[in-house]
Amino acid sequence: MMKRKKDKKKFNKGGANSLFNKSNQRQTKSCPLSGKNAPEINYKNLKLLKKYVSDTAKILPSRITNVSLGKQRALSKEIKKARVLALMPYVGN
Amino acid sequence: MNYYEHTYITTPELSTQEIESVRKKITDILEKNESKIVKEEDWGIRTLAYPINKSTKGKYSNIYIEGNNKVIKEIEQFERYDDRVIKFLSIKIKKIPEENSELVKTA
Repeated sequence: MMKRKKDKKKFNKGGANSLFNKSNQRQTKSCPLSGKNAPEINYKNLKLLKKYVSDTAKILPSRITNVSLGKQRALSKEIKKARVLALMPYVGN
Repeated sequence: MNYYEHTYITTPELSTQEIESVRKKITDILEKNESKIVKEEDWGIRTLAYPINKSTKGKYSNIYIEGNNKVIKEIEQFERYDDRVIKFLSIKIKKIPEENSELVKTA
């Protein structure tokens, strides 16, 4: 037990540049669909919509894609429109 | 008056005459209700993401309509009972885009 505790302490001493240490600043990524030069979310813009869909054609959660809450809602609506018109699949392979 | 975007898919085997007759029926309904087509787009024959009525391809036509909700109801009713149209979607929009969408067939 004692030995193990010692090891842990050593590990944390690695310094600010250590790969294994969590940096104090949290890495934040901004929403790729917000901002000035953001692309328009439309069901006809298939190239954009396909980025936010998994291999099995499911809509990816925003915690993975970093899309903001409002844009995610708009995105999922447009994807569903594209599905109705058979531009995108409901289910993948 | 509202703006609508209406897309319908017809079976790919149709002759140009029959495609024209489907279009004419829609324009007739529009004229009857004092509405009109503002813009038109032809997306050509595309492969469907999933088979509809056992067909894997479909011809897409996209029209922008200026009119009221009654017209859309009537057009959809016609398309629902027409065998040549396999799928349709109409959406209310705020303004008509000036540029063509990416789906327009460039031949």
